[in-house]
Formats: sequence, C-alpha cells, structure tokens
Amino acid sequence: MPQDEKNARTRLEPRRILAAMGPGMVAALAGADAGGVATYSNAGALFGFMQLWTVPVMCFLLIVAQETAARMGCVTGKGLASLIREQFGVRLSALAMAALLVSNTTVTLSEFAGIASALALFDVPVYVSVPVAALAIWLLTMSGSYRRIEKVLLAVACVFVTYIVAGVMVGPDWGDALLHTMVPHVEATPRYLSLLVASVGTAIAPWMLFLAQSNVVEKNAHAEDLPYQRVDTVTGAVAASVISWFIILTTGAVLHPAGVVVNGAEEAATALAPLVGDYAELLFGAGLTGASFLAACVLPGITSSAICEAFGWERGADRSWAEAPVYRGIITAVIAVSALVVMLPDVNLFGIMMVAQVINGVLLPVILVFMVLIASDKHVMGRFANGRGWNALTWFTIAAVTILTVIMFLMQGMGV
Amino acid sequence: MIYLSQLLGNPVLDADGEKVGTVSDLGIATGEVFPRITSLAFMGPGRTPIMISWRKYVDTYNESEVHLKVVATDLRFSYLQPDEVLLARDILNKQIVDTHGMRVVRVNDLKLSDTSSTQLRLLGAEVGARGLLRSLHPALERVALRVCRTFGHPLPEKIIAWSYMDLVERDLSNVKLSVSHKTLDDMHPADIADIIERLDPRLRGQVFAQLDDEQRAGAMAEFDDDAMAAELMDTMNETDASRILSEMDPDDAAELVSELDYDKAEKLLRLMGVQEQRAIRQLLGYRENTAGRIMTSEVATVAEDATVADTVEMLRGLDEDFESVRYVYLVDEERKLTGVVTLNALIVATPETRLAELATADLVTAGPEDDQEDVAEDIAKYNLLAMPVVNDEGRLLGIVTVDDALDVLEEEHAEDLRVAGGSADGEDSGHASTLIWLVRRNVWVVLWALGVVALALAVGGHLTLAETLTIAIPLAVALVLADDSISYVTNFFLENDPDDEDSPSMLGFTFKGVGMGVALAVLLALIVVALMNVIMSPAVPTAGLFEGSLGDSLVTGGFAAAASIFVSFALTPIYLVVLRARDEANKETSGFTLSVVAMVVAVAVFTGAAIALAGPGGMVGSGF
Repeated sequence: MPQDEKNARTRLEPRRILAAMGPGMVAALAGADAGGVATYSNAGALFGFMQLWTVPVMCFLLIVAQETAARMGCVTGKGLASLIREQFGVRLSALAMAALLVSNTTVTLSEFAGIASALALFDVPVYVSVPVAALAIWLLTMSGSYRRIEKVLLAVACVFVTYIVAGVMVGPDWGDALLHTMVPHVEATPRYLSLLVASVGTAIAPWMLFLAQSNVVEKNAHAEDLPYQRVDTVTGAVAASVISWFIILTTGAVLHPAGVVVNGAEEAATALAPLVGDYAELLFGAGLTGASFLAACVLPGITSSAICEAFGWERGADRSWAEAPVYRGIITAVIAVSALVVMLPDVNLFGIMMVAQVINGVLLPVILVFMVLIASDKHVMGRFANGRGWNALTWFTIAAVTILTVIMFLMQGMGV
Repeated sequence: MIYLSQLLGNPVLDADGEKVGTVSDLGIATGEVFPRITSLAFMGPGRTPIMISWRKYVDTYNESEVHLKVVATDLRFSYLQPDEVLLARDILNKQIVDTHGMRVVRVNDLKLSDTSSTQLRLLGAEVGARGLLRSLHPALERVALRVCRTFGHPLPEKIIAWSYMDLVERDLSNVKLSVSHKTLDDMHPADIADIIERLDPRLRGQVFAQLDDEQRAGAMAEFDDDAMAAELMDTMNETDASRILSEMDPDDAAELVSELDYDKAEKLLRLMGVQEQRAIRQLLGYRENTAGRIMTSEVATVAEDATVADTVEMLRGLDEDFESVRYVYLVDEERKLTGVVTLNALIVATPETRLAELATADLVTAGPEDDQEDVAEDIAKYNLLAMPVVNDEGRLLGIVTVDDALDVLEEEHAEDLRVAGGSADGEDSGHASTLIWLVRRNVWVVLWALGVVALALAVGGHLTLAETLTIAIPLAVALVLADDSISYVTNFFLENDPDDEDSPSMLGFTFKGVGMGVALAVLLALIVVALMNVIMSPAVPTAGLFEGSLGDSLVTGGFAAAASIFVSFALTPIYLVVLRARDEANKETSGFTLSVVAMVVAVAVFTGAAIALAGPGGMVGSGF
C-alpha cells in the first residue's frame, strides 16, 4: 500500500490538483476572519513575538485535522455529521451537534462583530451595518447564491496578504522572530493562556472540519483522489499560517513596543500604517469586511446542513420552507441571534470576537474526539484508518487544549 | 409495544439468572411483511460478540432485561444468514428510502410488536421526532407528548413498515423479499430520479447500481440536472453505461451523450449495438435545440399499399421498449412521407381496408434544423401527439413526441421568465424569494442613491446640498424609465422571433425606440418646467420654501433626466441585438442584469448632463 501511494504521488496531474484546490483555500482565507485578525493582533500587541511559536504548531495540527476530515469524506462518501450519527447514535450526536451549534453561532457572532467594527471605521453605525449585513447574508444563504460572489469575497479577503508586505516593510528583527518561532515560550498568566486557547480555536475551528469533509463528499472524491486532497489541505493550511504569522509579526513589531492594546479595529488597523499610511484603516476595513462576510455566509449553512444531516431532515438551499423547515429555520435563527447580540447596546465588539475564539477552542476537543474515534475505526475506514502517529497527534491536540482550558478556567476562577 | 432503543444495552440473563452479556442487536428474517426477530446478538464477557437463535433460547424479555431458557453453557452460537438483516447495524440511524412517501429519511428508532407474545416482530421504522426524543431519553418523549396534547396538537409516530423500506446502503437485491415488499425498483422512474437527486453523491452511485437496466435507463432520462446524470454515467463501468444508453430512447440518450466528455462518449457509443449507435449518432449530428436533436427515430411506418391487418401485425411485432405509437406513417419506396393514420382510425377500420384510404395527406411536418421551440409550439397549435420530421426531399427521419415538446416548452418558459426578470425556478417560493423579488424590483432606489453621491462628488464644490438634492429628484424618473426601456426590449424579444417574416423589422424597432425616447424626454422636460412655474408662482403658498436657485436646480435636473431618458431608449436596439446574439449562442441572459446595466448608463448620462448644465457658467446660479 505505501508503494501504491508513492506511485500515485509521482504521477500527480496538474489539472486534477487544480480541480481539488478550493476548500482548503476558502478555509484558510476565511480563517483570517474577524476572530482570526482579532486574536493574532492581540497576540502580537500583548506579547510581541512571544506567541510566534504557536503558528507552525497550529499549522501542523490543522493539517492533521483537515487531512483526517478529507480522508473520511473520500473513503466513506459521507459527511462528518452523518458518520457521527451512524457510529454513535442519537444521544452522542445530539451532544456533538449542540457543540457545533454553539461554536458556530459564536463564530457567526464574531463575524458580525467583525463586519460592524470594520464598517465602524467608515463611521457606519452598528444599527445600520449589522441589519443590512444580516439581511444580505440571509438572502444569499437562503437562495444558495452566495457561491456566485464567493470569488469576489475571497479576492477582497486577500487584502490580508498586505500584512506580509507590511511585515517586511516594518523591518523587524528577523533573527529574533525566527528564534521565537522555533522556541516555545509559555507564560502562566490567564491572559496568555486564554489567548493560546483562542489561537487554537481560530486556527482549527470545528466548522472547518465539517466544511472540508462536506466539500469532498459533494465532489464525490474517492480514495484514489486522496493525494490531491492532501495537496489542497497542506497548501491551505500553510497559506493560513503564513498570514497569521505575519499578522503577529507586524502587530508585534509595531504595536507591542508602542504599548498599544488592541481594543478595537482602529488599533488593529494601525499596524498596517507603516505600509500604506493614511489608507491603513480603509484597507484593513475592506479586508476585514470581506473575510468576515465570507465566513458569515458559509457558517450558518454548514451548521444547519450538519444538524439536518445528523437527524435526517431535508436540507439544501434548493429546498423550500415547506420542504426543509428545520434547515431554513436553523439558518435564520443563527443569523438572527448573532445579529441581535451584536446590536445590544454597549457591547465590546472586539471582546466578542476574542470570546468567540475561546469558546471555539474549548469546544474543539469535543468534535475532535468523535473524529479521531471514527477515523481510527477499521470497520468504517478500512485500510485508510488512522495510523498510530496521526492518532497520537490528534489525541495530543485534544489533551493539550483540554488541559489548557482547565488551567485557564482555574486561574480565572481563582482570580490570578 | 417495545422499541429497539429500549432493548439495546439490556442485560441478558441465563436460566440461572447469571448475566451473560448485554443486548447489542437483533436479526430479522426478511421474507415477511412484518418480519420475525430470528436472532439475538449480544456482547459477551470480554466484549466478544455472540449471536444466538431467538426462537430457541429466548424465554421472556421486557424493557429492562432478556431471560434465556437455558444456562450459558448450553448455548449454541449461530451465524448471520444471507437473508437476515441486523436491525441496529443495518437500519438504525441509517438513511433509508420510504418508498411509500417517496422520501429519504433517517431511522430514529425501530418499533417492535407486543412483549406479551413470545414471537417478536418488527412493525416498522420510526422516522419522526418522537423516535429522536425517545432515543435521547424516554422522559423527553413523555414530556413532549404531554405538552403537545395540552396544545391540542397530537404528536403522532411516523412509522415506515418494513414492506416500504428500501435500505439504500445495503444491497438486498440477492435477498428474497416478501412479495409485497416495495423497493425502489417498483417505483416510477421519475420518482426514483427525484429520490436519487436527494442522496449524497456516493450513495447515488450505489443506489443506482442496485436498479435493473430498464429502471436505470428510465431514471437517467428523468434527471432534471444533466450534469448529475453525466456524473452518474462516469461512476458506472463502460459496458453497463453503454447498455443503459441502448435501453434509453435515442433522443434522451443523445442528450445525455452530449453532456459527457468526448473520449468517454466515443467509447460508450462504440460498445453499443450498431443500430442504436447509428440512431444516436444521427441525432447528435444535428445542432442543439433543433427538432433533429429531440426527435426519436423509432417511428411506426408502413408501405402505402398496406392494409389495416398488415399494420396491426407490424405493430404486434414491435419491440417492447419501442416509443409508444400514436400515429402510423405511410412512406413510399424512397421512405418519402405520404400520409398519416391515427391509431383511432386504425382500430375502428375493418382489417381489409387499405391504409391509403384512411390516411390524411395534408401533413404538418418539421425540418430537422427547425428550432425546437417552433416545433413544440406547432405541436400545441395543431393538437398533435407527435410531429414527423422530414428532410428536404420529404424523407421521414423521425418524430418529435408531445412529451419532449412539453419539456421544451417548460425549458423555454423558464428562460423567458429569466429574461423577463422573474425568478428562474418557479418552485422556489417562500419569503426569501419574495424579498429578492422586491429587492430586484426596487434596485433603482440604490442606483438613485449612487447617482446622488456621484453628483455630490462631481459638483459638490460649487453647489449646496439642497441644490444637489433638488437636481437629483428627476433622476428617479429617469431610472424608472430606464428600467422600463429594458422591459420594452425584453417584451419585444419574447414576442417576436427574428426569423419570423411578419415580425417588425429592426429598423422599425429602432425608430419606435428613438421616437419614444424623444417623446418621453420632451414630456418630462415640459412637466418639470411647468411644475417649477407652478410652485414658483405667487398663487402657491409654498413659494417661499422653493425660492431662488432651487427652481433652477429642478429644471437642470429635469433636462439632465430628459437627456438620460432619451439615451436609454435610443440604446434599446443595442440591447435587443445583444439579447438575440446571446440567445443564438444559447447563453442565458437575466433581464435583471440588463436592467441594472441600463440604469447605470442612465445614472452616468444624467450625471454628465447635470454637470454640463450646472457647471461653471451653467444654468444654476447664473439666473435662469
């Protein structure tokens, strides 16, 4: 079997690689959404280069998780929710779906917060930007026509590539940056730990796993397409990590020495000032809006689709309200709840984005446990079941996040 | 009544009351309407899976435990028989097809017969909310039931009997099922196609593979989504795929083949029988959307001198899957079409009658290169069940049947709706589409706002906000009329065919468009000037509010709007040409997009004209 794989790898056709590309990139660029930018900017501003080491680690763990999801899709032809239901029954899938619902709703919430704070840079009040965005997203998801504008949003989200240029222009101490990338550094403060959990939640969000697997299932990729899917997974993860590394680098070099604490989009935007000067806020605002809007279009659909898949209800944008009431209902509810919370008076938008990532990080192990159990089940996966190494890495992620979470809550509880 | 969810995990006790394991599954014999439970699977010590005969060993059972008749050492293990299905492994939590309600559902629980008798039977699969709640916790189901009863909405169980279940994931084709068992195979191909479209792509291939050739061919022709049908063809091996193509009507097969990529299509065609292959290749030789493409070459023809008896004999000898016969066509030695006889005439006539006596020689025919829409319309117009297609020499090539004509009309109708600015698929009802429709109808508001911004940016330097806004008032009229100019184009497009001789010429259309533009522009300019005079006149009490340069601004806006309206209508011939060119190339055009383009042009013209009129030395401020 390893021989087979080697042969397949040497004969990768460029055309098929391109055909397989996509989901990984969407996940990567949507990963640079509101929550991602908030988390990484904060990490850079608060701790300088001290959290740079997390980026390669997260990148590797993201590849492990995404590869597993794509492989499960290729081998079984079923979505993750479907597999959880069939392997674990109603009770445990209810638990998994509840975790997914909570986690995705908070992420959607943070996307709305991102849209609101990005548009606030242009002096658009929350009471205008959020309802308009919510209505637009609702219409796009309901009619399933968001795919038509997906490319536009992806292009807009590419604005974050400017962080790479900005990072170079700032002229940071490259030696120092590389050293901190290689050498882990842990501070035992609640703030550091919660940022760490948030970083995990941002980098490996549960929705990305569901998205990766459902994309593979939709395309009806088979086991022999696995090498291509792996190319997509790895490029996507690396692209996402490069962007996040440069966000931390830039904010670490610009904001940290100046002692700026990132409390809102304006402060985060100032990191781009060395590159584009006065246009920093414009550029940052456009990029944040695009990425957040993209993720907010994708998220309610994924959530609702997974839940309906698990419980056997009709789903899909081409089903009417009468045919798929639950599917449409969940989408509507997720969007409505997120929009309403963001519009509460005096909420801290940037705070919401951060909290959402922490919740994501806390709930990630729940989904990962299901995933690793199914992926290592030989009855389901046949010869494509998880190897020991992959299993160990996934369990390591689960254990690490769980322990970090527990310590974080303990420290917060004790008021350290 | 007992449910599988209540049995699973219960302890299994032997005759001495010793626990030998926990229930993990039940096996059923598949050959009955309400299948008997035949075996009990349980998890023995050390998690070893064990299966024993239900009839031989089970004494009593209830919601909390299962008692065996013998002691553990006397148990003889059995194995799963080929015709047995395991409830938890094969059905519970799985997707099945409800062949009665024709839906894809997930099984939440399984309902078994009463516990009082020793014979336990499967009553059906529970697919509703109650099964879900019960599996979560039985108490939840009770609470939900009580709540629902208080509100007067009883919560019924949704049970699918075994005889209406099709286990899509487990191939039961080699298991002998009871006579009354209704599987996918027994359903109408159109319904099968509907169900397959709702499955995950992988499952589609698996389910499709379980059908017999005839059903596969039928379902293949019924898929709404041609790309999906092509994808399914890809999942099959080549001999199967070519066999299905042979089984399909040649016109449906040709449509499907044209969706496949060239190499694959060639390979499949070569594997087919000579005759079917020729029929499909012949159809593929005609351009898309022509009568030649949608006709079938399976036509009942007889020689001119045939009698009714001969003809009936010929009809008896036709293949089973021959396109259903509505007319018998008369052809001469060169296969030239000379007449047609309806099936009714044939039945009523005496056997010796010559067909030539019954035939109508006055025929409505179509050429193979005729547009499919025209043919469909003619079929409707002349109340035909099929229309013969003949070449230039009058030789019969095939017929276009009424069912294909209906498909064409449906397709063209959807296209027309899109051009007219409606929703593409009529079924997509609900609030979302109503909202989208409203948004589409009122896009001019957005463009008006954009126009105001553009104007403010352009002339903001030397005009006050009030002046700018006043100028922009007539823009609204210009935008609505720009939208109407597109309706004018699309209506003309839908009603008139360029190939039709009696349809108005392009020149006439251009003249009418320009004329309407001039008339509407002058009308608007006059109305605005009149309005300005009225509100400025001392007789109107609001004169004070609207003094000075604002009146001039209104006039400026009116003239700019007039220019914009004129341009909108003067451009209509161009839109028509674009629309026709795209239609010729078989590209879909949305009327909405056209409207937006027209309105953007209107805003641009308006802004330009307003700047020219209101700029330095312009009307505003210089005292009109």
